Amino acid sequence: MRTLVLLSDARHPVSGRPHLSRLETQAIGLAASLDPAARGLHAGSGEDAVRAGLGHGLAGLDVIETTGEADPLPALVGFLADALGGADAPELILAGRRGEGGFETGLVPYLVAERLGLPIVADAVAIRAGEMPGTLVVDQAMAKGARRRVTVRLPAVVTVHPLSPLPRPFAYGPMRRGRIRRHSPAAEQADLPAVAKMAGHGTVAGRAEDTGGTTVGPVDVVPADERPHRARPKLMRTSGTAAGGANLHVGPDPTEAARLILDYLEANGIRRYGKAPE
Amino acid sequence: MTAAAFLPWLIVAMVVVAAVQIARRVILWRSGRPARVDWLAGLKALPRRYLVDVHHVVDRDRSASRMHVPTAGGLVLACALLVVGLVPAIAASRLYFGLVALAFLVMTAGVVLEVRRRYPRPLPRLSLGQWQKLPIPLGVFALGGFVTAFLASLGDPLPAVSILTLLLTTAAGLGLAGMAGHGPMRHALAGAAHLAAHPRPERFGGGRSTELRPIDLDAPGTGKLGAETPADFAWNRLLAFDACVQCGRCEAACPAFAAGQPLSPKHLIVDLAAAAGGGYAQPYAGNAYPNARPVGGAAGLHAPIVSPEGLVHPDTLWSCTTCRACVEECPMMIEHVDAIVDLRRFQTLERGAVPLKAEEPLANFRGADEPNGRALAERTDFAADLRLKVMKDGATAEILLWLGGAAFDLRGQRTLRALILALNAAGVEFAVLGEEERDCGDLARRLGDEATFQRLAKANVATLSQYRFSRILTADPHALHVLRNEYPAFGGSFDVVHHTAFLAEMVAAGRLAPAALTGKAVTYHDPCYLGRYNGEIEAPRALIDALGLERREMARSGRRSMCCGGGGGAPVTDIPGDTRIPDIRMGQASDTGARIVAVACPQCTAMLEGVTGERPEVRDVAELLWEAVQAGGRNEAAAVKAGEPA
Ligand code: SF4
Ligand code: SF4
Repeated sequence: MRTLVLLSDARHPVSGRPHLSRLETQAIGLAASLDPAARGLHAGSGEDAVRAGLGHGLAGLDVIETTGEADPLPALVGFLADALGGADAPELILAGRRGEGGFETGLVPYLVAERLGLPIVADAVAIRAGEMPGTLVVDQAMAKGARRRVTVRLPAVVTVHPLSPLPRPFAYGPMRRGRIRRHSPAAEQADLPAVAKMAGHGTVAGRAEDTGGTTVGPVDVVPADERPHRARPKLMRTSGTAAGGANLHVGPDPTEAARLILDYLEANGIRRYGKAPE
Repeated sequence: MTAAAFLPWLIVAMVVVAAVQIARRVILWRSGRPARVDWLAGLKALPRRYLVDVHHVVDRDRSASRMHVPTAGGLVLACALLVVGLVPAIAASRLYFGLVALAFLVMTAGVVLEVRRRYPRPLPRLSLGQWQKLPIPLGVFALGGFVTAFLASLGDPLPAVSILTLLLTTAAGLGLAGMAGHGPMRHALAGAAHLAAHPRPERFGGGRSTELRPIDLDAPGTGKLGAETPADFAWNRLLAFDACVQCGRCEAACPAFAAGQPLSPKHLIVDLAAAAGGGYAQPYAGNAYPNARPVGGAAGLHAPIVSPEGLVHPDTLWSCTTCRACVEECPMMIEHVDAIVDLRRFQTLERGAVPLKAEEPLANFRGADEPNGRALAERTDFAADLRLKVMKDGATAEILLWLGGAAFDLRGQRTLRALILALNAAGVEFAVLGEEERDCGDLARRLGDEATFQRLAKANVATLSQYRFSRILTADPHALHVLRNEYPAFGGSFDVVHHTAFLAEMVAAGRLAPAALTGKAVTYHDPCYLGRYNGEIEAPRALIDALGLERREMARSGRRSMCCGGGGGAPVTDIPGDTRIPDIRMGQASDTGARIVAVACPQCTAMLEGVTGERPEVRDVAELLWEAVQAGGRNEAAAVKAGEPA
C-alpha cells in the first residue's frame, strides 16, 4: 500500500529546536509497517529536522521548498493532487493529529483532505490493509482507552494518535543514505487541479497568508497543557464513548445542533449554566 | 644414527604444519578492514612488550606465570636449539643434546605446574575441552623430547627406548603444531603477531590508551557504520580475537558476568574468533553466558554476529558497562570494549536496534542535547543562591567548572554544592558555561550513537574554545574522560582535572583547612572512568587521609576495582540478571566494615545509593571534605571565642 506521511515543522518541547514531531515518528512507524517504501512529504524552508524521518523508517522524502513564512497548504495540496493523478498514486496519507509547537496548526490534515476530497479518519492507533482490496482498517482511539474499528476506502487521510505503537528507534545510517527529492512550490501550484482550487472554506494557517481563497488571521490556539484548574465534570467517570441512540440526531441544522450539544454538555455538568468554561 | 638426530627434522615438520594451519587464519585476518600498523616499531618492541608488559599482567596470577614461563621458555629454547642441530657437526655433539635435554626438562617442569592448575579440579574461570587436554600433548612432547635427547647425550645406550620416545614426541609435536590454526596453540602465533600489530601500541611501556576512536560518519558511498560481520572489524582486531587463551581472567573480573547478566567477555571474544572462521571448530568449553539467551549460531566472515540467529545475542552486547576490567586483566592485551562498542555502533547507527529504554535518552540527546530531556538553561538552577559566574556574561576565570548531568539530579546537586562551597572557601576563581554547556555525550558514545556524540563534541569544543581559562574542573569522571581524552580528536585539547585531585591540591596548598573527621571508617570506591580509564587512584585517597579518616580498602580497588554498574549505558539498557551489580559492589564495601563508602562520581553515587537495606552511607569525597572544612571553621570560631575576654 503506497503510503505517504506528512511531516510538519515542529519544535522540540524542551529546546525549541526544529525537530521531527514525535507523533509523526509514530505515523512513520505505522506507515513503514504497511509499506516498506513509504515516503515523507514536507513543505517548508528547512529539511534538517524532517530528515530524521529517514532514520525512523521512511524510504524517501519529498521536500517542497517554500519560504519560511509561507503557508504550506497550497504546496502540499498541489503536490498531492499531482501525485494522486500520477502513476504511483499514494493510497494512504498519514499525519500527526495535532501541532507540536512549531508553525503547525494541526488543521492541515483536515484541510488537505477537504481540498482533495478525500475521507479523513482521525486518531489511528493501528492500521492494516482491509480484506477488500483498496480498503484500510483503522483502529481509532477514543476517550478513556476505548477503541473503534472503522474501514475506509482508499485513498484516505488518517491522523495518528499518541497511543499508537512506539516509533522505531532512530538510525543514523539510513538517514544519511536516504534520498531527498526537492521540489519547488511554484511548479506544483501552477497545475493545481480543480479540486484543490475549490477554495472558500476558511483556510487556517499559523499566519495570515493568501491561501488562494479567504485570508484568515492567525488562530488563537490555547496550548493544551496550560489550562487553569477547574473542577472535573462529574460525568467523566460514567459516560460511554459513543453517544447513545437517544442522543442521535441525523442532519440537524447547525443552530439546532449547537443548541443540542450545549444542552447535552450542561445536562452532564461539563459546561455550567450557559457560562463558557474557562 | 641416533633417534635424537631426527628431532631437528621433527621441528622442521612442526613448523611446516603450523605454518599451513596458521596461514588459513592469516587469510581470514586479511579479509578484515585495513588498519594502519607500524610493523617495524611493533616488531622491534615485541620482545619488550612480551617480556615486560604481558608478563606483568600474567604475573598477577602467580600460578599462571610460574607455569607459563618454563613451559613457553623451554619449548622455544628446545625448538631453537634443535633448529641449530640441522647442522650435522653440531648434531653429532653429545653436549649439544645435553643442552636440548635441559630445555625439554624445563618445559616438563612447566607442564607439571600447568597440570597442577587443572587437575584434579581446574579453576572455574578456565576453559575445559581442548584446553583441559592441552597438558597431555605438551607433557608427552616435553618428556619424550627430554628422554630422547638425554639418551642421545649419553651416547644412546637404549636405542629401542629412544625410538619409542621419538615416536611419541613426534606424535605429540605434530599434534601441537596441528592446533596452531584452530586449537589452543593458536595463541602463541596469534598472540605474538597481536603484540606487534596491536591497535593501541600506546598501552605498552606503562602508557595508557583508553579513548574510543572516532569513525568517519561521512565516509563517501554507502559505507557501513560500525561492525556487523567479522569482516567489518579491522584485520588486527580479528587477529586479537584469535590470540585469546581462554584464561577467563576477564570473565572473573566482569561485573555483568558476576551479576548473572548474559555476558562473559571471554565467551564473547571466543565467539568473535569463531564467527570469523564460520563457526566453532571445537565446541566452546568455558562457562556459558549466564542466563544465556538462545541464539541460532549462524556464523561466517560475512554473517551478522549480533542477532538472535547469529552467534551473539543482543542482550550480551547491551549488558556491558564499558568498565574495562576485562581489558585491564587480559594477558593477551585484547581490547574487549573496542569490540563491543564497534558492534554497538552498527546496531545503533545502522539498525536503530537499541534496547527500548535506551532510545529515550538518545532521542533526548538529539532534541535537547541532554539525556534526561532537561532544558540546558536549567542546569544552574540548583545553585541559584550561589551566584555562579557564567562565562557568557564576560566572566574570566582560572577554572571552568563543568557541571555535567549531576546538576539535574537532586543527589548530584548535593555533591556539586559541596564542591562549589569548598571552591568558594578556598578562594578559587571559577565560572560555569551555564546554558551553553551541552552534555558531553558520554552516554551516547557508549551506546554506539557516534553521530550524536560527534555533534555534541564539536559543539562543546566550539563553545569551550571561545573562552579563556586554564583548566576545566569536573566532578564527573565520565565527563573528565570525554573532555580530556576524547575531545582532542575533535580539535579540543583541554587540561581537565577531577575534583578529587583539585581539592587535594587545595588542601596540600593550605587553601582549605579541613578538621579531622575522626571516628569514621571509610572505604573508597574507585570510579572506572577515573581509576582504570585515567589512572587516578592516589588523589582521592590522599584527600580522605587528609581528613583524618580511617581508610579501608575493598578486595578489589584501584585499577582493578569493580564497577558500580553505572557506566556504558548499562542502567538504561537494563538487561536483567540474577542480581544487580551495585548490590555486589555494596556487599564488598560492607565487608570492609566501613560505615561510609566514599565515591567520586555521580553515577557511582546513584548506583550505590540505589542499594536497599542496611548498608554503609554513600558520600562523595567533596561532601566529606566540605563537612571537614566546616568543622574546621567551627573549631576556629570556637578558638577565637575562647580567646576573647569574657
Ligand atoms: S567492560 Fe566490564 S562489563 Fe564490559 S565486558 Fe569488560 S568487564 Fe564486562
Ligand atoms: S580475552 Fe584475554 S582475559 Fe579473557 S580469556 Fe581471553 S586471553 Fe583471557
